[in-house]
Amino acid sequence: MAGQTDMELIKDGVRLDGRKADELREVKIVAGVLDNANGSCYLEWGNNKVYAGVFGPMECHPRHKQKADRAIVQARYTMAPFSVNDRKRPGYDRRSTEISYIASQAFEKVVMVEEFPKASIRVDMQVVEAHAGTRCAAMTAASVALADAGIPMRDMIPACASGKVNDVVVLDLNKEEDNYGQADLPLAIIPSTGEVVLLQLDGHLTPDEFELALDLATSGCMDLYKKMRLALENRYGGSA
Amino acid sequence: MGKESSDKSDSVSSRKLVLPGDLLETKSKPGRGIFRRDGRVHASVLGYSSDQSGYMNVNAITGGYTPKVGDKIVAICVETGPSVWRMDIGASFNSTLHHSESGWKVPFGDTARFLTIGDAIWAEVFMVDAAGSHQISLKKDDCRKLYSGTIVKMGPTNVPRVIGKQGSMITAIREKTQTRILIGQNGHIWIDGKGSDIATAQKAIEMIDNEANSKGLTKKIEKLLEK
Repeated sequence: MAGQTDMELIKDGVRLDGRKADELREVKIVAGVLDNANGSCYLEWGNNKVYAGVFGPMECHPRHKQKADRAIVQARYTMAPFSVNDRKRPGYDRRSTEISYIASQAFEKVVMVEEFPKASIRVDMQVVEAHAGTRCAAMTAASVALADAGIPMRDMIPACASGKVNDVVVLDLNKEEDNYGQADLPLAIIPSTGEVVLLQLDGHLTPDEFELALDLATSGCMDLYKKMRLALENRYGGSA
Repeated sequence: MGKESSDKSDSVSSRKLVLPGDLLETKSKPGRGIFRRDGRVHASVLGYSSDQSGYMNVNAITGGYTPKVGDKIVAICVETGPSVWRMDIGASFNSTLHHSESGWKVPFGDTARFLTIGDAIWAEVFMVDAAGSHQISLKKDDCRKLYSGTIVKMGPTNVPRVIGKQGSMITAIREKTQTRILIGQNGHIWIDGKGSDIATAQKAIEMIDNEANSKGLTKKIEKLLEK
């Protein structure tokens, strides 16, 4: 949505990278890659590369953020300076603050925060290489890392975007589609109940297109959920 | 000694891996590592499900230590107050050891004379409240201050594997290495003996921690101890 282009992003139902409208980019998930974190995950999603690490539950600092009856989830999303074409100034910015906040809220819906009063669960997401859809990639990786850390949860949350390019509703936008497309709709759901824990929309969709985009993103999340399960089963030996 | 029983089945083949949110088909009562939604039982942690003695449990594979009253633990002093010690027990929060639970006659403000930062004790959790804070005691059974020896930290979920069935694993390590070992339910393990023996025991325990869920672990440990 950053700019308009005459570029044909989808031709005869085939996108620039050869995918169909309802196809995800290739996803690779590895759980438990870091020794020093309680739980961790490395995720490659197309050209996106993301690490997630989980610490806690631990004493919540600063203490004024403590909740007497439950834990809080302190998620932190950051992009490495070398993750994008133009070097990104390291550290927090407006965008990462927003993503960290919505990710914290989403995880608080599934983590059993009531079991750990006054505690904090820290979720760190580091984008090493960015190619559109990093908030979804980071949250998916963080979900696997949370399960890997043994934190009690109601479910894992897969996150996946859909959007609109050249008036076609498509799943999982790549960088060109994200930059020059017409809409982007990241979605995170709780697979066992179908509840939505994250939904954002950038751009314009008609009500019908929105319904279609929502269905498409939901099916993308469910596909992703299977891959997340597989990653954890690989790490812990499956139903051995 | 810690509870010398194993709640993890030794046979790897009979277990089923479940992930958070997985529905568990059972008529048993809900036990550990589960939650209810619409009257049905789901797993809340990543672990192996077990439907035994009328209870549905999920034994977590990873995760931190949650103190329970009666747990025997190895605790390390991290802070001294005028009448209390703050002890690291590997849980989310440090635990409190009040001077009245120490068995020593401690003059006000003189706690550091008895237990100072870095000192270790073998203690029992005697109080856990709803707000998540907990207290430990030195006045139970064989609880005491630990002198000499070394402390190995491992995942608390793997403690039953170190103990083994009816304490078979830990007995083997103790006998083969001629060491004295105390296994805290919090995953802190105290080992004392000759330097080289401690190293062997430590190696064995670290191996169990790293390969807790692999097949033929007992044989691997036996082989390591024979060396």
